[in-house]
Amino acid sequence: MNKNISSIAFKDNNLIIKNSSNSIKIEKSINFDKDNELHIDVSPADQTQRIVLDVDTHDDETFNLKIFLKINENAKLEFLDESTYKGNSNFELITKLEKNACLESYKLNKFNKNKINNFYHDCSLLESSSFKDYIFSNGSKENLNRTTINLNDINSSYLGSGVAISDSTNSNNVVEIRHNAKSSTSDCFFKTVARGNSTISFDGTIFVDNHCSKTISNQVSKGLLIGKESKINLVPKLEIYNDDVQCSHGAASGQPDAKTLFYLTSRGISKTEAEDLYIKGFLSEFFDTIDNAQMMTKAKEYISLNN
Amino acid sequence: MIEIKNLNVSVEENKILNNLSLTVKTGEVHAITGPNGSGKSTIAHTLAGNPNYIVESGSVNFNNKNLLEMEPTERSLEGLFLAFQYPIEIPGVSNASYLRQILNSHRKHQGLEPIDAAEFLKLLKEKSALLKMPMEMHSRFVNSGFSGGEKKKNEVLQMDLLNPKLIIMDETDSGLDVDALKLTADVVNQMRSEKRSLIIVTHYLRLLEYIKPDYVHIFQNGQIIESGDHTLASRIDKEGYE
Repeated sequence: MNKNISSIAFKDNNLIIKNSSNSIKIEKSINFDKDNELHIDVSPADQTQRIVLDVDTHDDETFNLKIFLKINENAKLEFLDESTYKGNSNFELITKLEKNACLESYKLNKFNKNKINNFYHDCSLLESSSFKDYIFSNGSKENLNRTTINLNDINSSYLGSGVAISDSTNSNNVVEIRHNAKSSTSDCFFKTVARGNSTISFDGTIFVDNHCSKTISNQVSKGLLIGKESKINLVPKLEIYNDDVQCSHGAASGQPDAKTLFYLTSRGISKTEAEDLYIKGFLSEFFDTIDNAQMMTKAKEYISLNN
Repeated sequence: MIEIKNLNVSVEENKILNNLSLTVKTGEVHAITGPNGSGKSTIAHTLAGNPNYIVESGSVNFNNKNLLEMEPTERSLEGLFLAFQYPIEIPGVSNASYLRQILNSHRKHQGLEPIDAAEFLKLLKEKSALLKMPMEMHSRFVNSGFSGGEKKKNEVLQMDLLNPKLIIMDETDSGLDVDALKLTADVVNQMRSEKRSLIIVTHYLRLLEYIKPDYVHIFQNGQIIESGDHTLASRIDKEGYE
């Protein structure tokens, strides 16, 4: 399974493999063991390879999945998870990026507001490898997204963006970025829109070890409170043990600007439509970070459907 | 068209309008002028339904409906348009999609189908040309990065697109150069009709050289202290408010 795979998708417990010409053929069925554990090794190919995870789980069962993903030297991979989790779920992703490896991950999940859904991602990066991470979530009864990034070698980089759009759902987002080698970079950007009685939290830690000079790390988190009962907690944390670094963080949350909403409604659109336009504007800043046109379209569609 | 009776309005517990009464009949153009802080913009925002402006007492009848009971959205759909002195920037929303959305809201209210993209583009080109607004501006975000004059033109463009019954222009002339002022006045004069009324709030009187009002009112301390025809504007221009 490690040669020239352009995409993998799960459907009805079948493993669907797309070849490089993008035609689909089912190579074999997989009967998951009870832990649903899968090991994937990605080797370099002529073009970027892609894994698509598109499961639609039942609301009366808990879906567990654990993927070990190794991206070998010079390999490039896109990971797209467009799953709809109707029931409880636990998804654990453990990734290792070798020298010069690239990973772009897009999670555009839909959750059931009455369920519990956990996503854990532990990612380690070696020399000059890069990881771009985009997580979209509409929240659930208890929705945890926990990401740990280990920048273990020189010039490794992480760009992480998260968007939580909730309507009386909850979302707990924890990102820990550990700069364990010098000259590594990270950029973390989190935005959330909270409607109804949602509670959204973002806990972002930047850790820079004492030998990690020339580290560059930025973190921004912003929240928009639409619902009168909604709550947003943004907690940026810096643990920096080296003076020769450039690090910044910022956090801001608040309600939509009343002047803007009045301007929009004075043009004849309803308050709800005005809020939707406001949210569109608020989240648009996020799109600037997505280079991949196809993924940008998917991200816009996701936001449009969940807004 | 609109009848304001004994209107008292406060902002953050400061009384701004004092027992204001004003009637604007259909087809009439009224200009409101006065020194800084006299309450000119307050009347404009109160009529448009800005929630920061608290109506303490009084009544406003707009085409036989109680305007003060209406939300800003409803006031707009009923035909009232306020051109803002300080138009708001909306990053992330393209001007074209915004303009189409507000137009379609009005069309829906009028029982019309949404305008299709091609027809809208044609209309937008036609209206923009009148104001010498390049079409490129409409792919930019609403008012974001627009100069002061461009923002004001965008207000006049919205006014033209929505075809309101009552136009309230809150210092639309400020920030416009002489050419832009003339263009704006041309569009407003084209919109002038027996079925439409205008209230022009202005600090400077140059606009009134191009748009001759039927009545000019001088505001002071939230009240009209003097009314007259367009010659009153000329007198103020020469003698000042004192």
